Amino acid sequence: MKVKNGKDFWAGLMFAGFGLGFMLVSLNYPMGSAVRMGPAYFPAVLGGLLALLGAVVFFRAFVSKFEHPLKVFPFRLHMLIAALALGGATYLADSWLKGMPMAGFALVGLALALFIGAFGPKAMFLVLLAVVIFGYALKPLGLVLATALLIVISAVGGHDFRNKEIVILTVVLVLFGVLVFVKGLGLPFNLWPGE
Amino acid sequence: MEFDLIHNLGIGFGVALSWQNLMYCFVGVLLGTLIGVLPGIGPVATIAMLLPVTFNLSPISALIMLAGIYYGAQYGGSTTAILVNLPGESASVITCLDGYQMARQGRAGPALAIAAIASFFAGCVATVVIALFAPPLAEVALKFGPAEYFSLMLLGLVGATVLAHGSLVKAIAMTVLGLLLGLIGTDVNSGMARFTFGLAELSDGIGFVIVAMGVFGFAEIITNLEQGAARDVFVNKVTGLMPTWKDLKDSSGAILRGTALGSALGILPGGGALLSSFAAYTLEKKIGDTSNFGKGEIRGVAAPESANNAGAQTSFIPLLTLGIPSNPVMALMIGAMMIQGIAPGPQVMTERPELFWGMIASMWIGNLMLVILNLPLIGMWVKLLTVPYRLLYPSILLFCCVGVYSLSNQPFDVMLTALFGLLGYIFVRLECEPAPLILGFILGPLMEENLRRAMLLSRGDATVFFTKPISGVLLGIAIVLLLITLAPAVRKTRDVAFQE
Repeated sequence: MKVKNGKDFWAGLMFAGFGLGFMLVSLNYPMGSAVRMGPAYFPAVLGGLLALLGAVVFFRAFVSKFEHPLKVFPFRLHMLIAALALGGATYLADSWLKGMPMAGFALVGLALALFIGAFGPKAMFLVLLAVVIFGYALKPLGLVLATALLIVISAVGGHDFRNKEIVILTVVLVLFGVLVFVKGLGLPFNLWPGE
Repeated sequence: MEFDLIHNLGIGFGVALSWQNLMYCFVGVLLGTLIGVLPGIGPVATIAMLLPVTFNLSPISALIMLAGIYYGAQYGGSTTAILVNLPGESASVITCLDGYQMARQGRAGPALAIAAIASFFAGCVATVVIALFAPPLAEVALKFGPAEYFSLMLLGLVGATVLAHGSLVKAIAMTVLGLLLGLIGTDVNSGMARFTFGLAELSDGIGFVIVAMGVFGFAEIITNLEQGAARDVFVNKVTGLMPTWKDLKDSSGAILRGTALGSALGILPGGGALLSSFAAYTLEKKIGDTSNFGKGEIRGVAAPESANNAGAQTSFIPLLTLGIPSNPVMALMIGAMMIQGIAPGPQVMTERPELFWGMIASMWIGNLMLVILNLPLIGMWVKLLTVPYRLLYPSILLFCCVGVYSLSNQPFDVMLTALFGLLGYIFVRLECEPAPLILGFILGPLMEENLRRAMLLSRGDATVFFTKPISGVLLGIAIVLLLITLAPAVRKTRDVAFQE
């Protein structure tokens, strides 16, 4: 058996994974009956359906008339899956790890390292990283610094980084943000750290 | 009845023509044109960003402004489609085909003018259509029970699935995944938190702005960066805006057909601007002399442009009469109404007539403003296009982040959006169209609730969906639609249509 359509192969796995995941988790909730549906009823049925559809897409990958290579993603998928699995396991094992905080830190660190390693300095990773940093920096650092971080990090993700331009863009957008978001629209952001 | 209509429109114009509402209408269409011209930021991100601001406005001003953003974006989107071959809005994809060819032949001016005229005409007609059809539909909707609502939503989902690009199985899977993601959060009936993994931030469910912005906005930026989008702007060639008499004569039929088709398809749940423009172009290619299509046929600009504007406007009908959002923008409009303490549904028209009719009147006024904004000022919009993408995308990211953060001032929301950005990127790579996922996500909880209620009322008898007349007809249409798509002949044309 040879995979002809790599896109269908991964899409099938993804749908089946989501479907089974939703189905298994919903088994923790009361099912109810067709007359009085419990919280598990609808998601369990849909999860099963999704898993089935995923299986169809997966098996179609072997007989598809379209040819796509198996390597679809520009990142290392096995490292990403390992990182997510490790992160999930650490989360689930939270109560066991209470006694040995060092082990917990080590696991989280390893998961993060795998996560970063899966992407490398790719546009996708840097853009999304910039977004996450902005979200968590806005409150402690204030709008001005968070905006600057967002713009500089995401600009590194592009293929055409020009120092002067980025400085000007940062200044313009910080001014715009302060004037429009805070002064104009009245959004409740602090401008500087600790305000 | 006719007296009623005139009387009602009178109330509407009275509201819409107030100095304040005119200003908000203008701000709306101006912003709409701006984001329509800029690729990468759409009405969803913009409306999401402005939602917190509408707290301080009166309900009618808020809705007038947000509606203006939506239909204004349809105007602006066509400008980029014609001049750069990049649809600023997804609904302008079709306009690229012939509009860009016209621009390459030095006829960008007439193409832009015809697009504006077609949009204006369609906007006027669609306004009348809403005024005529919404009241009787609201009457019918008052008789809708849970079974009818469920079947209607199912029809909408089938519609969105059938019209998605590429594989049908994948589109159905995306719809189901959307429905499931929509169920995350507290179950209304039992009060039980589902799929939240103990995270308090998820107990209210995932905001759909988060999903839409991640899956559409961020994923698109990443894809653009990877491809290093090259753009050719025909800035210098926009001379002689006015179309010739021949252009007008050639396109008048196409405008009429596009308007009619767009008005009808916009009403369907899951319909709206995108579907309408696709259908109108396909129809036009079957009528009269078709040799010039794809090579700069003016009818190929007129038909989809009139259809997408008509569809954008009539998609307000299911929102205003049934309280059902037919696309992501309408779901945001529901959010805006909720902020103001208005429950969307058939009762809005009778309880708040000034709101309903004021909004309709403002659409007509807004369309007039758009013609004025677009034709003489075209040069200014074109200038915007010369801004390089490397400067544009960090700015778009900032707007998106601020929009998401200001929803509830939680960093967690921003991180979740980034996660959905990753997911959206994976969808793009795997050729899974995200539009059905979004619609499923919006309708998921509504469908579950109506399914439960219908089954409770019928004491567990599932045949009720077929035996109730309205529900039965809706389900019948959905089944026929699915069967037609599965038929081999249609599948082939569908493949061809989407390849273009």
